[in-house]
Amino acid sequence: MAAALCAARGSGAHAASVAIVERAPALGGILNQCTHKGFGLTYFGEELTGIDYARRFARLVDTADIDVFTDTSAIDIGGDRTVAVSGATAGLLRLQAKAVILATGCRERPIGALPVAGTRPSGVFTAGSAQKMMNIGGYDIGNRFVILGSGDVGMIVARHLAQSGKEVIAVLEISQDCGGLPSNRINCLERYNIPLLTRTTVSKVHGAGRVCGVTVADLAQGGSRFIECDTLITSVGLVPERDLLDGLLSEGPLPDWLFLCGNACFVHDTADDTTFESERTGSLAADFALHGVRMPGANHGDRARSDSFSPAEALAHGGTAGLSESGEVVCCACPKSCRAVLTSGGWQGLCCGRDSPDIG
Amino acid sequence: MKEYDAVVIGGGLLGCFAARGLAGYRLKTALLERREDLCTGISRANTAIVYSGYDTKPGTLKTELCVRAARGFALFCEELGVRYNMCGSLMVCFGERGDAVIRDKIRQGSENGVEGLSYLSREDVLALEPNIAPGVFSGLYSRDSGTVLPWELCLAAAGNAADNGVDIFRRAEVTNISREGEGFRIQAGSDEYYARGIINCGGLSADKIHSMVIKSPIGISPDAGDYIVLDTKAAGHISHIIFHEPEHKGKGLTLVPTVGGNILIGPTERPYEQDAGGARAAAGSKAKPGDDMFAGTSLDGLEALRAQILQVMPSLPVEHAIRTFDATRPNPEDKASQASINDFCIVEENDSALISLIGVKTPGLTCANELGVHVSGKLASRLGAAANPGFRPRRDPPARVRDLPFEQREQLIRDNPDYGKIICRCGGITLGEVLDSIRRAPGAVTLDGIKRRAGTGLGRCQGGFCSQSIIETLAGELCCAPEDITKDGEGSYLFSKMATP
Ligand SMILES: Cc1cc2nc3c(=O)[nH]c(=O)nc-3n(C[C@H](O)[C@H](O)[C@H](O)COP(=O)(O)OP(=O)(O)OC[C@H]3O[C@@H](n4cnc5c(N)ncnc54)[C@H](O)[C@@H]3O)c2cc1C
Ligand SMILES: Cc1cc2nc3c(=O)[nH]c(=O)nc-3n(C[C@H](O)[C@H](O)[C@H](O)COP(=O)(O)OP(=O)(O)OC[C@H]3O[C@@H](n4cnc5c(N)ncnc54)[C@H](O)[C@@H]3O)c2cc1C
Repeated sequence: MAAALCAARGSGAHAASVAIVERAPALGGILNQCTHKGFGLTYFGEELTGIDYARRFARLVDTADIDVFTDTSAIDIGGDRTVAVSGATAGLLRLQAKAVILATGCRERPIGALPVAGTRPSGVFTAGSAQKMMNIGGYDIGNRFVILGSGDVGMIVARHLAQSGKEVIAVLEISQDCGGLPSNRINCLERYNIPLLTRTTVSKVHGAGRVCGVTVADLAQGGSRFIECDTLITSVGLVPERDLLDGLLSEGPLPDWLFLCGNACFVHDTADDTTFESERTGSLAADFALHGVRMPGANHGDRARSDSFSPAEALAHGGTAGLSESGEVVCCACPKSCRAVLTSGGWQGLCCGRDSPDIG
Repeated sequence: MKEYDAVVIGGGLLGCFAARGLAGYRLKTALLERREDLCTGISRANTAIVYSGYDTKPGTLKTELCVRAARGFALFCEELGVRYNMCGSLMVCFGERGDAVIRDKIRQGSENGVEGLSYLSREDVLALEPNIAPGVFSGLYSRDSGTVLPWELCLAAAGNAADNGVDIFRRAEVTNISREGEGFRIQAGSDEYYARGIINCGGLSADKIHSMVIKSPIGISPDAGDYIVLDTKAAGHISHIIFHEPEHKGKGLTLVPTVGGNILIGPTERPYEQDAGGARAAAGSKAKPGDDMFAGTSLDGLEALRAQILQVMPSLPVEHAIRTFDATRPNPEDKASQASINDFCIVEENDSALISLIGVKTPGLTCANELGVHVSGKLASRLGAAANPGFRPRRDPPARVRDLPFEQREQLIRDNPDYGKIICRCGGITLGEVLDSIRRAPGAVTLDGIKRRAGTGLGRCQGGFCSQSIIETLAGELCCAPEDITKDGEGSYLFSKMATP
């Protein structure tokens, strides 16, 4: 929702009339579950918690002339630029727009996406939902943890657990290197003496009711061993949430009145990245709504999917969907979330043996 | 002691349909299920196919019931408010051996009285299913075949039985049965029941339950299978059920386009093995691994499936996998000769009214209603019961908000705003539907129970997004703490209630 807030602000600054539709009871999105500091260094020049970061933008939205529908889900985007929304208070409505910005964030890849065998007990959580259960729900989700995947969210959750006196046995990473930012590896793992085991993965989950342990495979040396734990946290990839586009996509390329920003566009490393990109998307969308022209550089969800997508175009469009400023796209074909770049020689950086990325 | 005319043991497909069958007679009936919820055994994890009946030997009870069931399945689902994807099936092969099997099945099918079968050339197969590997040799199309959600079917039967006066008791594990007068005294959970007659549908334990009264002539020797589920993003990749008849001996691949729009891949066939690693670790804990029927998927099994996919449909987008699961087959075996039995086994006790369904495997789902009618009729005649003229076979489907046209949906939300609030993002399922699944008998009491009734958590985030709010809603309805809610019954608590070590 960081994205939506900024986009709304960007649009509002151009005197466009703006509505935000948010499923949750409050604005802020994933930031609302981030009780830790480390947000806003680039944008605000100071370190905020995710909650405070979101609050700053939410306040700006409050004071601007923006209609806010909280507790309301968008359920359909029609080719006639209507957005159908559903909420307990809002009822079922169709909002007519001139431009639509999709800022629906991302979703976490579930454990079932991985070739992990075993039972299906309770006590297996994705990192983001574990974070939400602990930080928003205030629940105690377990005592002995194994963390599968060294993505940023997984490492931040590991730190949170260590800080609350829980036992984090290890963070397991299938590839050679840590999956998240080096700063997080140092701040979240090394500082708390949490071992990061690379070339290691969970091959089997055990337990009839609750998880009672995992079989861990050592991919470098071969062999496997059993680790006793009562909770398994997975941080094995984020996938842009774009289900709302399925209907439009089945009708052909995405229309020019549709814009994407934030994690719905591609998975950003930091909230600040999201903010900069989304403010720009907001003003571009406002321009489009008011003047009917689409400026170059606007994010566009279908470009990376369409066959006509060329490296030259990618560069010309800078921030094309699924692409970061530097032209990267996050592949979702496997849990590794590799970043790939389209060059004249084809896609570079994909390690999963595909010749083009899957952007979910 | 609670007194009944008839008691059904086991709340799987067979037990729920037997109970519904008994509701058609003037009998005071109870159903006893050991777990917290119905449909948690074999009936929860299977291939979910309605078979048309060409696959089984002529003259068997299986064949008779299956052919009849498949023909009427759409109507019968309509009656129970259950969704049925009557997509037809396609058996395909990649060489001479498979082709011979297919020609044989067509002969067998017409002998069984199955209609709507046709032999397909390679071109015909590819026209129906363009994504099948081009090396395909020939195929067999069967019209009267389709797929349901097993738990939807099972819970609709239970709900209809309850609507017609059957008492359903959960957490009622039958531990002892003794003869008393003409009938039986049954110890189940913390209660005692008296029944004049029993229908035993105890799934993998049916032989043991029968032996509580008299030694069962039939035993169960389980084996296991693995499945992979693909996200709805893969929907449209196939439009029929596809059975692969391999050239070498062994189990072929099955692909099913489910009612929910997913693709189900599987099952493998491998020995049932108790989970050694789990058993060791859980030795000190309360959970009893191995006692549970699901021993877990095997890596080899999952790999075998992927290897077969490469052969049958290499373009299948397996990267959209969202879940894997395992199933346990209750293979019936003649205890004296140790020979496996190839038909449904209905064991009747001579001296008293005990009827056991032992080792009912495929096509047990297809035939659940026919079997229910069959065994309830047998018991009713033994107990001398007349038909119940007040029996109402229909059951209204639960509200499925997402499937409604805009205006109807708008009206529904105006009448009850809970149908406006979306809880499960992947499935578009609302708070109103979650509440219905808790409030309508037999109501959900676990997280997975809501999944089986409302369809939450089945999508690509697998409950990552909605679990917490569902747990809180459930706790609110049941007047307990969220920490008391389990994923799927005993031991599967979600939040920690244990003292921190
Ligand atoms: C789990 C997680 C932890 C993170 N932790 C950090 C961190 O510690 N530090 C850091 O710098 N960055 C972190 N990030 C990255 C960064 O904060 C986020 O990328 C950024 O906030 C994303 O903003 P967004 O608006 O794109 O997505 P979100 O914040 O996810 O917002 C999407 C919003 O859309 C709403 N929505 C979705 N679909 C609908 C619909 N159909 N109808 C109505 N509303 C809908 C959602 O409810 C949500 O509020 C984290 C990201 C994630 C996913
Ligand atoms: C791998 C596999 C795939 C299949 N695919 C298909 C298919 O595609 N099409 C088809 O038609 N059929 C299929 N079947 C067959 C079908 O699933 C089964 O025949 C059917 O589900 C059996 O139902 P049930 O009620 O006997 O067993 P269950 O669902 O296991 O029910 C038995 C119940 O009894 C309870 N119970 C046990 N002991 C006690 C006790 N002591 N006291 C109280 N309760 C007790 C258990 O908890 C359980 O709920 C398949 C089966 C398998 C194994």
